[in-house]
Amino acid sequence: MNMKPTLIAAAISLLAFNAHSAGPEFHHQPHAAGIETYGYTWNSPDQDMNRALAYKASAQRGKSAYKICKGCHKADGSGQASADYPQLAGQHATVIIKEMMDIRAGRRDNPRMYPFAGEWIVSAEEIADIAVYLNHLPVNDSNDKGNGKNLALGKSLYDKDCASCHGGNGEGDARKFYPRVAGQHYEYLLRETHESRDQGRRNANPEMVKVLKSYGDADIEAVSDYMSRLLPAKK
Amino acid sequence: MTYPTAKFLAAVALLGGGLSLVSAALAESPAATAAANVCAGCHGADGNSVATTFPKLAGQQNKYLLRELMDYKSGKRVSEIMAPLVADLSESDLAELAAYYAKQKPAPGVAGASALMKAGKNLYLKGNSKTDVPSCDGCHEENGNGDGKFPRVAGQHVDYVLDQFRLYAAGKRTNGARVMQAVAERMSEQEARAVAEYMASMP
Ligand code: HEC
Ligand code: HEC
Ligand code: HEC
Ligand code: HEC
Repeated sequence: MNMKPTLIAAAISLLAFNAHSAGPEFHHQPHAAGIETYGYTWNSPDQDMNRALAYKASAQRGKSAYKICKGCHKADGSGQASADYPQLAGQHATVIIKEMMDIRAGRRDNPRMYPFAGEWIVSAEEIADIAVYLNHLPVNDSNDKGNGKNLALGKSLYDKDCASCHGGNGEGDARKFYPRVAGQHYEYLLRETHESRDQGRRNANPEMVKVLKSYGDADIEAVSDYMSRLLPAKK
Repeated sequence: MTYPTAKFLAAVALLGGGLSLVSAALAESPAATAAANVCAGCHGADGNSVATTFPKLAGQQNKYLLRELMDYKSGKRVSEIMAPLVADLSESDLAELAAYYAKQKPAPGVAGASALMKAGKNLYLKGNSKTDVPSCDGCHEENGNGDGKFPRVAGQHVDYVLDQFRLYAAGKRTNGARVMQAVAERMSEQEARAVAEYMASMP
């Protein structure tokens, strides 16, 4: 290597460099067709998802890969209710994988999390590892709950309209990609139920959306409060 | 690989780099020679730089150092200072340099403005959920030592760190994981300074 003095001088004069001007759009979440699109099929085949689902995942590797997520979802996977960071502890691995892939592909909008969810920081295999790790973590039952005033209404709505998929105790169904709702933060349940009804959650299940069409805000509050208090058998 | 050592060292001496630290003990391999002759002027003989806009390299993660050096060489990480310095070094030279600095003992951090320390620690360990800044401890570890591709941040110079935050936020440092661009974009200036002070103070 031949270092010319001029080059050195130039290098040194550059030490007082300054970063300014707005940069290009990095980490912008892509947008893929969702429930707002005619002909939408929920959970249609996805290559990355199949790769993650087929992978022989390890909770031990997942524990280490999960450090990328901890900064928001917390070390114990309990999330942060005030910021709508959902509890992930105890969630089905299949559901975590599906949601991650939907966010990566832009079928579920989540610009807040997107920079921390792309393939530049976490591979499909690591997602599978993280998913089994989280599934094994105990649900933190000091989750955020509603005001407790309309639990009877909440229960009757839930048993009639929701239990068939989300389970009598909110346990969901791993095989069918139905999320566990028991022990989830009230604020988050409220938000996702609203968004699902109003088609803001674009990867929602159309049958669930149909059920929600007749729901007013008070119904959604009652059923969300009820779900937040469900606790299936401990693992 | 021949460096016009005298001229270069004369130039960097003006910067106040601690040349007296360059010890003969380093001259055992081409990489060690480069480290002693070229890099030491800015980064210190043992990677504990004195000038605050030159990053400390001592004890930095090996994997991280190598990737950054390769990226300077390919231009993925843009630095008009570093690029010409690594242009003629081979990957194995760079690997040796990375390994050399990773093995050096980091000098202990220095406690900065105490008024910001508490806020900095809070951001480092808790993040700011109002603006979706995740806490830093997950990726950089609670003690700031990093792990593999996640760099050590403990004891790093405040000025260098603030420069990097500016580069990230302006989309000018894009070689790594995009996570830091989001982190830097979402921090206020006050938060950036506070967390930089806190990191600089970590042992
Ligand atoms: C910057 C904060 C942040 C980080 C870091 C983050 N998330 Fe999230 N995550 C969120 C937010 C906010 C939501 C919900 C937002 C929404 O639905 O609009 C969410 C939702 C999720 C969901 C959907 C849960 C459900 O019940 O549907 C999953 C799964 C998830 N995150 C996994 C992860 C994983 C895995 C990582 C690490 C690779 C991660 N998150 C990193 C903020 C974050
Ligand atoms: C036909 C089955 C089905 C029915 C009935 C159903 N859901 Fe769902 N629900 C789903 C599926 C599937 C998802 C996940 C959608 C996705 O992201 O792929 C979901 C997601 C949710 C979520 C978001 C969970 C999370 O972790 O993000 C909430 C909250 C929810 N449902 C509430 C309800 C409520 C309340 C009812 C009854 C009024 C209901 N669901 C009825 C299938 C159903
Ligand atoms: C003229 C001063 C100067 C010399 C000589 C120099 N560097 Fe640098 N180095 C810098 C500056 C300034 C930066 C920060 C550049 C940026 O913003 O990307 C840097 C950054 C680095 C980084 C990235 C550190 C991090 O934490 O990301 C590494 C690694 C590095 N230098 C190694 C070397 C090696 C090895 C040599 C010798 C071959 C060398 N440097 C010579 C000034 C110098
Ligand atoms: C999701 C993981 C993650 C989180 C959270 C994170 N970082 Fe980073 N950080 C990285 C990675 C990976 C790099 C490596 C360089 C790159 O990607 O450009 C890095 C690089 C850095 C650097 C540059 C180091 C150097 O030597 O040039 C600084 C400074 C830094 N991070 C500070 C922080 C602070 C402060 C926080 C919290 C407010 C934080 N980081 C949160 C992953 C993370």
